[in-house]
Parts: sequence; structure tokens; C-alpha cells
Amino acid sequence: MKNLNTLLAGIFLAVALPFGALVISSQVQLGSLGRAPAEEGGPLFPSREPGLAIQGRTVYVSLGCVSCHTQQVRPAGQGSDIARGYGARPSVARDYAQQGQVLLGDRRLGPDLANYGARAKDLSSVHAAIQHNGQFAFLYAGSKNEVASERAVALAAYLQSLRQDYSSPEAKLKK
Amino acid sequence: MTQENRSGRPQGRPPEGDSRLSRTEAQLSGPFLLFFVSAVIWLLAASILGVIAALQQGSLAGGLFRGCEILTYGHVAAAQRNLFVYGWGFNAFFALNLWLLSQLGRFELRNGWLATLGGAVWNVALTYGVVQIFAGNQTGFGLLEFPREVGPVLAVAFLLAGFWPIVAFARRPTGHTFASQWFVVGASFAFPLTYLLAQLLVLWQPASGVVQAIAHSWFVSNLLLLWFGASALAAVYYFLPKVLGRTISAYYLAPVGFWTFFLFASWTGPSALIGAPVPLWLQSVGVVAGAMLMVPVIITAINFHGTLSSEGGWSRAWNDTTLRFVSFGAVAFTLFGVLNAIFGFRGTNAVVRFTSFAAGQEQLLTYAFATMVLFGAAYFVLPRLTGSLWPSAKLVHVHFWATALGAVASVVALLVGGFESGKQLADASISFQQVAKAGAAWNVALTVSAVLLLVGHVAFALNAFGMILKSSAPASAGRHD
Repeated sequence: MKNLNTLLAGIFLAVALPFGALVISSQVQLGSLGRAPAEEGGPLFPSREPGLAIQGRTVYVSLGCVSCHTQQVRPAGQGSDIARGYGARPSVARDYAQQGQVLLGDRRLGPDLANYGARAKDLSSVHAAIQHNGQFAFLYAGSKNEVASERAVALAAYLQSLRQDYSSPEAKLKK
Repeated sequence: MTQENRSGRPQGRPPEGDSRLSRTEAQLSGPFLLFFVSAVIWLLAASILGVIAALQQGSLAGGLFRGCEILTYGHVAAAQRNLFVYGWGFNAFFALNLWLLSQLGRFELRNGWLATLGGAVWNVALTYGVVQIFAGNQTGFGLLEFPREVGPVLAVAFLLAGFWPIVAFARRPTGHTFASQWFVVGASFAFPLTYLLAQLLVLWQPASGVVQAIAHSWFVSNLLLLWFGASALAAVYYFLPKVLGRTISAYYLAPVGFWTFFLFASWTGPSALIGAPVPLWLQSVGVVAGAMLMVPVIITAINFHGTLSSEGGWSRAWNDTTLRFVSFGAVAFTLFGVLNAIFGFRGTNAVVRFTSFAAGQEQLLTYAFATMVLFGAAYFVLPRLTGSLWPSAKLVHVHFWATALGAVASVVALLVGGFESGKQLADASISFQQVAKAGAAWNVALTVSAVLLLVGHVAFALNAFGMILKSSAPASAGRHD
């Protein structure tokens, strides 16, 4: 405790070892995840993100949507996510492999959005949801907020692209 | 310089200081006051945003701030948290850590302008980052929300402003060291390392997929435990024996407490990811580390509460402004550690996950513990540095009661409110809207507590700024102790 070098070396190890063991090793384990078929010869999932959805994610990030909405469905034993209809199956790491930025979130002031695209009825219901009873009216123009701005269009495309309703090798849908 | 009694000083007790303003203190008063004043200004800004955020949380449509893009909850909440952590928490601990290690190591700050420069750069970068958050340019990762160009600037500013405690430790004239010194050295070294690695893997060269979230959780737990936690523990280790004039009980345990705290804290990150789409082994490591963190929590509890419990320590603490705040914080830390262990387990965590509970735990650590300790420290240090008295005893009372009640109310509202709504959310037959409606009363409590905290902070700022202004006339009359 009297030697600065010993102290600093100990603290360095205490910080660097968890970094290596938690972060680097999970990069090794998960870093190469890509699109994969659930069964031999099946379609590849997750789908590639449409360009408009990628633009929409920047709107989602810039408005701080992540402070109220999560994008993760927990397995059946933990919480009521699946019973509540947030998703058909638990989220797995591969679902996020195509996303440039992962917005898992840690607070639900609003519902989970991991599988929102599969849940939303049509585009107009997505726009209605984005408005949040008027709080986000600034994304719309017109007397009844019926004209969506470019940002609102992109955001809606992003929300519709959020889907975890396919079978993946790690989590098959129940038939 | 004071004369040191090398042989007679018992372990577990900081050296006796001179009651006159020492040369080491005179030299650091410039940077200290810069850090302190900017910290208090940021604290006021954060508490105003805290009131706005609490008002918004209760209503889906944004209530008063309906249709206002700048003041959407996503902006206000992010700016509030960043201002509180980087504006108040960092500036205040820059000041306190520097003062503590200068005192303990008899360090004369020669190149004080470097620290001042670091403080200035830190605050300019912080202002830029917060403006960018309101302008809609944030990253979406909690406590790393500032646009990525701010990161390297903050890191450089930290090295200029926050590295002095390590220099002070290296240059101390005695071989003897005290617990506060280890914790401050640890905090000052662990943070820049963590911050740079997290910036790299989350913002500059983003890791792939959910690894971003893993790196982020590692960063947040390090920031909260190894910067806020360790710095505030250092202050408690210093002020309890200093003001009570006795040694820390069971001080021989303190080195174990220090090493176990640093050993386990950095592994607890993934416990914020229980149930998330990350490998199960990772979540289990987080759970185990959270439980192991009980070891340092128990040791600090023995050290702190043992010291306070003997010979009427609690009543003496209650009658001393500094100790009243510091012992409030010491109790809060023990409570935090126990809750952290209990609600780290998979079963209990599943109930409170995604509710306000995690925010309550953070509030318990960063406010009820760290901030209250910082207030207590300010009541001890400022009169020494400025050489004048606190202008108003009434404001001191307002400050204590408003912040203590506000801290308790906000922690209870977030924790109990979160637990209640978590229990309802576990039952899928209760709709999300019903749960939100049932939690409305807790939102009212949260708003009231935010107003209380603001009142307390305004009282503190008036008192502190009044004292600093008064002391610009050099006078040694009217010293506090």
C-alpha cells in the first residue's frame, strides 16, 4: 500500500482484467455473428436494414427515445415480456448483428419495441404512436398533424423494421 | 508546514493538521475554488432539469412541455444525468480529492495553472456536450451521450485536472499511507482508463452488435463505483476520524476492503444486463460480482458504523454539520451495497428490471451517498480555504433538511415505486397503462423530492457563494475552527 507502483499495477489489473474477460471475450464469442438460416437452406435472418430505417435510427437516437423504450425481449422465466406480447420468442444476440448501433435500453416508461414492426397494424398507426398524444407533434405539419416530416417518415420506417418474428438458430419460433 | 509526530501517531487516523491556513492549502485554493464553484453551478442546472424531468415523467403527452422539441424527456433526462455526473460529481471530486491528498501527503501544488486549465477545458467541453444533447446530437448510450468528439477532450482535461492526487501521493514525504489515499489514487487512475476504453469500443470503433451494450454496462458500473464510490469512500475514511478525533474501528480491515472493492466492482457491469440477449455466463459473472461486493460493503460498514457507534459518536456526528452529512452518506452506502446484492440475483432482478428501481439505486449511490458526503466535506474545507464563516446558519439547516428529505423521498419513490410497478408488470393481465396509472402517486413524490433538492441546493449555493465573495477581502478573522 505504500508503493505507488504496486498500487497502480493492482488497480490497472482490477480494471483491465474485467475489460478483457467481459468485453473482449464477448467480442470474440459474438463478434462474427451474421445472418443465418434457422434451418439448412432456409431464408437468412435478420434481414438487412433498409436505408430509410438506418436514417430513422438516427432520429430515434437524437430524440432520446432510448430513455423510455427498450428493445429486448426477456426469456419466459424472467418477467412477462412474451406473455405481454412484446415478442414471440426471447431476443438473441444474432438479432442485433446487423444493427450499426444497438439500443437495448434499460428503462420502460413505454412499451418494448424489439418486435414493434411485427406488432404495428399499418403505417398510420405507427405515425399515431410516434406522436404520443401530441408530445412529438413537432415532427408533423398540417392542421391535424397529418403531414409527416422527413424525420417522421424515417422514424416510422425504422420502427417498422424492428422485427424479431423469425426463427433463428438460437431461438426457434414455436409452431 | 506542521510538525509531524512520526512515532506517536496511531494507525487508522489522518495526521493532525494545523488550524491555520497551511501553505499547501493556500496554493491549491485557486483550482479548488474553480472546481467547487463550477460544480455548484452545474448542480443547480441539473436540479432545475431534474424538476422538469420529474414533471414530464408523469404524463405521456409531456404535460407542460408538450410539442417542445428541445425539452422532450429524452433530451432533459440525458442532460440532467450528464450534468449531475460530469458537472457536479467530477468537478466536486476534483476539488475534494486534490485537497484530501494534499493534506495527507503535505503536497504543494506548484503548477496549479495546469489544474486550472484542465478545469476550464473540462467545463467548456461539458457545456458543448450538453448543448449538443439539447440540439439532438446525442449517442444513445447512457452517460456517454455526448457526441464522440467530446470524449478525448474530457479525457485530456481529466488528466490535467484529476491526476494531481496521484502526483501528491508519489511525492508524499512520509512512508505512511492512509485509507483515503488508496481510494483516491484508485479513483483517479481507474476512471481515465475506463473512459478511454469505453469511448473506443462504444463510439469510435463500435464493437459489433450487443458487445456495445456489454462494453457500455462495464463503463457505467466503473464510473459509478470506481469514481463516485471510491472517491466518496475516501472522504468518509478521512472525515469520520478527523472530526471525531478518534481512530477508525477495525482499521486493519481497511486494506482488505480497498482491494476487494476494486477487485469486484469492475466485474459487476453485466448485472445490468440480466435477461438481455447476451451470453448467460456473462450475466452470471455480474451476479456473482455483485454478491461479492458485499465483502467491502461489510468492511466499510464495520469501519464507519463501528467508529460512529462508540462513545456517543452518533450524537456528536448529529451535532456537527460536516459529520451529519458524512454519516448520512455512510449509512446510504451500506444500504446501497445490501440492495445491490439482493436485487442483483436473477429472480429478484426480473421483478424490478426496466422499472425505476435501477435509477433509485443510482440515486442512492450518487446522491444519498456521494453527494451528501461532498456537502459535508464542503462544510469542513471551505471555511479553511476562504478563512471566513458560513454566512447563515439558517441556510445550513435548510440545506441539510431539504437535501436529506429530498434524497430519502426520491430514493424511496424510485425504489418502492419501481418495485410496486415491477410486481404488477410481472402479471401480464394488468395492462401497461394500468401499471402507469397506479404509479402516478410515486411520480408526484418524485416531483416533490426534485423540488426539495432544488431548494436545498439553492440554499447551499447562496451560503457558499456568499462566503467565497466575502473572503475575497483577505482576512483571517472569524475562522470556523
